[in-house]
Amino acid sequence: MGDKFSAFSKNHILDIYKIVMGILLATGFVVSVIGVDGMLTTILWSTIGALLFAGMIFLVIKQHLLPYLIKRFMEAGVTLLVIVTLVFLLLRLMPGGPFDSERALPAEVMANIAAKYKLDAPLLEQYTHYLGNLLKGDLGESYKYLGRPVSSIISDTFPVSLQLGVYALILSYLIGIPLGVIAASKHNTWVDTGSMFLAMGGVTLPSFLVASLFILIFSFQFQILPPALWEGPLYYILPVVTLGIRPAAIIARLTRSSVLDVIRSDFVRTARAKGLAERVVLFKHVLRNSLIPVLTYSGPLIADIISGAFIIEIIFAVPGMGRHLILSVTNRDYPLVLGVALLFSVLLVVSNLLVDIFYAIVDPRIKLAA
Amino acid sequence: MNLLLKSSFYTLSLTALIFTTSCTKTSSDKTLKFGVKKSETLIVNLQTEPPSLDWNKSTDTTSSEVQGNIMEGLVQFDLADPELKALPALATKWESDKAVQKWTFELRTDVKWTDGVEFDAQQVVDGWERLLNPKTAAEYSYFLYNVKNAKAYNEGKIKDFSQVGIKTVGKHKIEVQLESPMSFFPSLLVHHSTYPVRKDLIEKHGDKWTEAGNMVTLGAYKLMKWEHDEAILLERNDAYFGEKAKTKYVLGRMITEQSSAINAFDAGEIDVIPELPSNDVSVLKQRPEYQKQNGLIVYYYGFNTKQKPFDNLDFRKAVAMAIDKKEITKVLGQDDVTATSWVPKGMMGHEEEMGIKFDPAKAKEHMAKAGYADATKVPKITITFNTNENHKKVAENVQAQLKRNLGINIEILNEEWKVYLSKLKSKKGYSIFRMGWVADYPDPDNFLNLLTSTSANNHTGWKNEKYDSLIAKGVSELNSDKRKEYYKEAQKLVLEEDVAAVPLYYSIRQYLINSRVSGFKLNPLDEKDYKSVMVK
Repeated sequence: MGDKFSAFSKNHILDIYKIVMGILLATGFVVSVIGVDGMLTTILWSTIGALLFAGMIFLVIKQHLLPYLIKRFMEAGVTLLVIVTLVFLLLRLMPGGPFDSERALPAEVMANIAAKYKLDAPLLEQYTHYLGNLLKGDLGESYKYLGRPVSSIISDTFPVSLQLGVYALILSYLIGIPLGVIAASKHNTWVDTGSMFLAMGGVTLPSFLVASLFILIFSFQFQILPPALWEGPLYYILPVVTLGIRPAAIIARLTRSSVLDVIRSDFVRTARAKGLAERVVLFKHVLRNSLIPVLTYSGPLIADIISGAFIIEIIFAVPGMGRHLILSVTNRDYPLVLGVALLFSVLLVVSNLLVDIFYAIVDPRIKLAA
Repeated sequence: MNLLLKSSFYTLSLTALIFTTSCTKTSSDKTLKFGVKKSETLIVNLQTEPPSLDWNKSTDTTSSEVQGNIMEGLVQFDLADPELKALPALATKWESDKAVQKWTFELRTDVKWTDGVEFDAQQVVDGWERLLNPKTAAEYSYFLYNVKNAKAYNEGKIKDFSQVGIKTVGKHKIEVQLESPMSFFPSLLVHHSTYPVRKDLIEKHGDKWTEAGNMVTLGAYKLMKWEHDEAILLERNDAYFGEKAKTKYVLGRMITEQSSAINAFDAGEIDVIPELPSNDVSVLKQRPEYQKQNGLIVYYYGFNTKQKPFDNLDFRKAVAMAIDKKEITKVLGQDDVTATSWVPKGMMGHEEEMGIKFDPAKAKEHMAKAGYADATKVPKITITFNTNENHKKVAENVQAQLKRNLGINIEILNEEWKVYLSKLKSKKGYSIFRMGWVADYPDPDNFLNLLTSTSANNHTGWKNEKYDSLIAKGVSELNSDKRKEYYKEAQKLVLEEDVAAVPLYYSIRQYLINSRVSGFKLNPLDEKDYKSVMVK
């Protein structure tokens, strides 16, 4: 009985987890796309988050990754500290202060402002004060958006950037992987050349140009999509597609070359020799193994797609973090710049870590040593 | 893997279905964000998230646009009057003593805040106390520095606010004692920083007192919703004491990029765009929705009179005479008004026949007089400006004109805004710098004060006691004819005799306003009063 249960656990727990996550992700995605606000969306995404976390823990334990994870977290901590310190110092070295304006303020007024934000304290004291607050989870108050905590600015705008980024990411996988597979399977035919020509266009065309073309065609020529704002599914299409085109093209090229590499390997030849259908060979053997380079690219891609969305956000007036990314620096809004830099650093570190873990799961030959 | 592919396929199909169905729904539905009907809503582009609706603390135009519609000051401007006379608002009348140093304001007795609490004089005093309190660290606290002991209180030298020259006299009257005479003091009280506050609510909610749901006001509109970084919704305040707003809702969008705002305008998502991209103005001004208005804004070039060769008066005169201002406004192509005096058109103190006239031949004479008959001997001059397409066009044109008219080779340099400001305020400064000034209140003192020797905004290094005394006389003079004389003399001194700066043009304000909107009154102060606006 015990043996049977153990066999069941090994073979099926992961599959059940995948099915539950698949259903929940699809439902959560649909619910957020149709713009259902409030409790349902929160419950769904929280459940997904919790289950993803539980799944990660399960996989970590299953793969004996705990020492590795601890080491990576410690490295991540040091990396983040270095980033915060560097950004803090660079900001202070930049000419011009946060409260310099066209209208010069009287010295007494400037003194009150400096005292309020502790800008009159020695630099080391300001730095330790910031770090102390950071450890308590306090990112400080914006200098530009008076009385508004940086955490509140991030929590108001980051979900929008994340939403845009996630949709673009999904779109880029949905377009990029099949396009790459098709191109590789029709190697050296017009389908291959045509697909790669499209992909080349996707990589080289600047996003502002693509955005302008889309607006011109879909908003003003055919008048079927709004040219700006972020107020429902219809509004999402142009920014998501514009943002997703470049990564889709990169993924298509990566998938194609990877599939071509794998397709020539011995185990694929063996699979074919066994008489397996070409479709099975392609999807079961080739694709799974070809996705490793794509997965490797996913870490930087996630960070890149979210942080790089600012041009798209500005063009399409998406109320994400894009404008804060740029304006916080031009405004010398020190706490906001630090908060945004920290967020993107965490995002990069975490996405790379997740990719490394998945990497080991997908390809058991890869060992993650502590 | 199959499972993943399948779920991706189903998700994609579902999404496509939702997109398709929502396409049909939105195109026929006139319901806007927050569920308001378009036919009842004016949609404006605020351009950015208002940095703060706390009127004691904010300094930007976006915030003051919203504040001006949800709040009232003691005084308002008569926007139809060419000299923008001060009119009663929360104050019914005011008067000063003979010395123009003590002012008494009688307040309305029929005003209620949006939570039903009665408006009274103490709330005005509370507002001023908060503005001047050093802990508030309000940038505009200096606005009230002429009130007795206000500066000392703001510096922390006086801790007891009762020593500051403002007090209530009964429930609906206040008395203000000034440090020195000020004839235009009531005009200051139009400014948002001086609005009354509800201390009880600020104590209760802290910094969150300006959030929708917490905020209590007494203007024509009230704040209903504020989704940060996205949109803001105002609703007509039916308990407003003045003329009720004609449109029920105002929806403020926050589209930063000007070309995106125009796209949204063309798609019917916005009714009013208050600023147009300079490169597209020539095309946009052909459109029927285009409207323009002279602004109380002066754009000028300042000379660093402490630095060679601008330490020489004849050289300054030569440069000023070699610039044809008409050419600059033509290059900009925005219908800006060529500047004459320092005070812009549409304000008391403006002079049509003021300033150095364009005269290249005479300019060369002054160059020779300054010791630079040979233009190659002129020390290195740089025109510096902050990064902006229009500033660049102006600098390039002046560079070309000075080369053409005087033979001088001038460099141009653009700097990032904050870098520009920090260098401008440093001791070294720039040889020629661009700057502008927008009126806070429609009084010439707001502009002329800039060039006094004590002004932190005087980056020219030029100081003149006579000028200072003329400006001081103007401040305390009640008779407007006499004031005009003082200001004329002062402007002659700085622009013609000493030539510390050259006003180049007065900027105009340009809008796109949808034809379904009527009653949007443009004015030189760019006060965006939604009260009288109607939508179809």
